[in-house]
Parts: sequence; C-alpha cells; structure tokens
Amino acid sequence: MTEYKMFQGCTIGNRIPFLEASARKVFDKLGITTSEAAFSCCPDPVGFNSVDHESWLAMGARNLTIAEDEKKDIISLCNGCFQTLKMVNTELLHNEHEKSKVNKILGQIGREFKGTINVKHFVEVLHDIGAEKIKEMMSKELNGMKVACHTGCHYNRPSEIMQTDDPFKPKKLRAIVSATGAIPVDYEEETLCCGAGVGNAEEEPAMQVLANKLKSAKAAGAEALIVNCPACFQQFDTNQKKAEKLAGEAFNMPILYVTELLALAFGEKADDIGLKFHRTRTNQLLEKYNIA
Amino acid sequence: MVSVDYELRKKVMDAHIHDALKYCYQCGRCTDVCPVSRVAPERYNPRANIMLSFLGLNIFKGQQNNFAIWGCTVCDTCDEICPQKIELTEIFAVLKNMSIAAGEGPDYYTTQASAIYDAGKAIPSQAAIERRREQLGLPKIEEPNVEEVQKILNATKLNTILKK
Ligand code: SF4
Ligand code: SF4
Repeated sequence: MTEYKMFQGCTIGNRIPFLEASARKVFDKLGITTSEAAFSCCPDPVGFNSVDHESWLAMGARNLTIAEDEKKDIISLCNGCFQTLKMVNTELLHNEHEKSKVNKILGQIGREFKGTINVKHFVEVLHDIGAEKIKEMMSKELNGMKVACHTGCHYNRPSEIMQTDDPFKPKKLRAIVSATGAIPVDYEEETLCCGAGVGNAEEEPAMQVLANKLKSAKAAGAEALIVNCPACFQQFDTNQKKAEKLAGEAFNMPILYVTELLALAFGEKADDIGLKFHRTRTNQLLEKYNIA
Repeated sequence: MVSVDYELRKKVMDAHIHDALKYCYQCGRCTDVCPVSRVAPERYNPRANIMLSFLGLNIFKGQQNNFAIWGCTVCDTCDEICPQKIELTEIFAVLKNMSIAAGEGPDYYTTQASAIYDAGKAIPSQAAIERRREQLGLPKIEEPNVEEVQKILNATKLNTILKK
C-alpha cells in the first residue's frame, strides 16, 4: 500500500481544518493512507513567488527533500501547494543550472534536492481510485443534485507542467462528482478564476470576477458549487456576500469541497465534518436531498 | 520620457524563458482571455506588459501597489492560450520581484512573506484552531524547522528585502 506524505498546507491546516476532516474520512474509506511531516509553507505560488522567485524555489525544494528522505510521494489538499511543489520539482528536474543554484543554498542546511518523488493533487488520486470504488462506499445517493464544478486554476494550468487534466475542459472532478449521483452542469465560466489573486492587490476587481463566476453557475441551474482548493473555497464561501452586494443579486450558493460531497454520500454526519463552519449556509441543500 | 531599464531587460531575458519573448507578435490572445482585463480593461493588460518588458520600458516603477502589474490574478490562462508558448506569468513574476525589491508592492505580499520568514508558515498555528483540529479528530500539525527556513531565506537575501 502506498503511503503518501500529507500536505494539507497553511490554509487548511491552520485556518479551515474542517476541510481536512472530510478529506481524511474519505481517504480512510477509500484506502488512501497518509502520514505527517514537518513541512513549512509550500510556499504560496501567488504570494511568495511574486516576492522572490529564488526564495520560492529554495523553500519548495526544501519541502520536497523532506518527502525524499522518506521516499514517499506527496498528496496535496490544496491547488496552491500542489502547483508550487509540482512546479519546483519539474523546474529543478529539467534545469541543471537552477538545480545547482538551489542545491548550493540547501547545502547550508545539509540538504540536497534529488528529484526522486512525485507530487499529486488529491483529485488525481481520487480519480485513479475510480467511480466504481466510490460507489461501493456510498450509503446515500445524491441523485439529481445539480452542481457547478470549479477545479480552480492551479490544479491544471500551466498544463505542460501540471499534467493533471485538460487545461480548459477538466474532466476528473466531474467524474468524481458524477459517481455520487450529482449532476455537473455545463456553465460558461467553468474555467474562470475565483479571483482570489487580484484580491491581494485590490478588492473590487476581485469581487467582480467572483460575481461573474457565481452568476454563470447560478444561471446554469447549479444548486451548489464544488471545489478542490481552500483558497477558492474561502473566496466563494467567505466573500460571497460582498460579491452579491456588488452584483446587486443574491446567489445563496452553498460551497462544498469535493471531499465534503463524498463524505456526505458515504453517510458521514454534517456535524462530524464541520459543515457548520461554512459561511454560506448549506442547510437547505442538505434538507432537500435528505442528508443529515 | 521613458528610458530603457537595462536591469529589467536583463532580468526578463535571464528568466528561464530565454528568448521566447521575442516571438510575441502582439496578437492579444492573452488579453482576450484575461479575467482581470475583462473587469478592468483600462488598468490591466498582459499583452502590453509583455511588450514593455521586452523593450525594457519600465513604466511600472515608482508607484506603490501598481495595478498594471499587481492586478494579475495568476490564473495562468494566458500562458495556456499563447500561440507562441510564452510563459507570461514567469515574466510577470520578474516584474513583481523587482517591484517588491524597490519597496513598491502591495502590503499583502510582504506581510505574508514576513510571516513565512518568522514562523515558516504563511498562516502560523493558533491555539483556537488547534483546539478545533482536536475536536474534529485531526492530528497535530508538525511545526516546521524555522531555523532551516531562515537560513535558506538569508542565503537568498530575502531577509534584506524584508528588512529582517
Ligand atoms: S498571446 Fe502570446 S504572442 Fe499573443 S500577445 Fe500575448 S504574449 Fe504575445
Ligand atoms: S495569469 Fe494574470 S495576466 Fe494571465 S490571464 Fe490570468 S490574470 Fe490575466
């Protein structure tokens, strides 16, 4: 049995850990085993790489060496961590010059990047396990629930490096969601960003991007938005009210992490996975589909 | 008058995209698909940023939180669509790194980097969340080795950028 090093990242680990609770319950049921390690921040591909590329590479490489020490692949619960670790791994594997620069820095703490492990996004891992196995574990069909899938940008772009899914028509999240009986709707803005990045500089344009996204999902009849990144989750869940204000329109769109959707389908109680910590209420949706 | 910023030119050309930049034919596909250009067309334009970077025309300097570069939401859509396979966001990272080094980026970025320098994490652990983790039956987060982190970031001279 492959054991992965768990990389929950700063946002899930130290801010919204209920997402990790659903992920762990789902992993247990599907036989995905993980162990902890003393990773630092990935670091953030939007924030920290914009501050200093060299520092970003070196810090990312250090995290990779921790997993290399144990000869285990990393499973990431977050698009941002996934993109950083995968990009650093790829860049250093293919660029001897950068690699020797980074290894000179890592040498000061007695570490060396070797490039011997892989980095996986949890959606890839769930997809590899497959719909059949997911169906086997289900005790609750979510038949007919119309949902909008949002993979987020850093899950599949730039595709040449990420190699997870189609860059403009991602299929894996849809396949996982469909296994539960929910129906992914087609909506025009499926690959549009949640807008979190621009929000670091200015709020209003970020809320406009967010409103464009939610409007499109709503117009397509989605009853919930399914995500696989904590930064997107926070943007949709925490900032939805602000986007509503700007758009002059109520979205009332429940946001579910794909592992929350799966956990509910596997019969987990909403309380045990901390659904009450969501800002945008999920009650009506749960009642409609008879989920406790 | 705008003059050529040779440091910018050199850094842009050194970034591992090498000379790919010179194949930009200004088709504007990047701007067509950019979600920020769509909501703020007068204020953010990746096509123009590529042209200016290539020419070494640094019009970005001298402004705190300059939206013309910091408006990018880093969705990587432009990288994906560019017919010339230019990795635009890598060039934009060069522009942003220079802006931070000049002390001009939005506070968010240096505040986050500072937290990473001090605690090894963008979001350091907090007692309330640790309790919540326990209630949810989650294992404790293993704390990173901050000494190692700081040694690395001193070697890359991030400490001077962050005035540590
Ligand atoms: S899409 Fe590529 S080639 Fe076209 S303007 Fe943008 S950077 Fe230049
Ligand atoms: S990465 Fe930045 S410039 Fe490129 S499309 Fe996204 S927001 Fe626009």
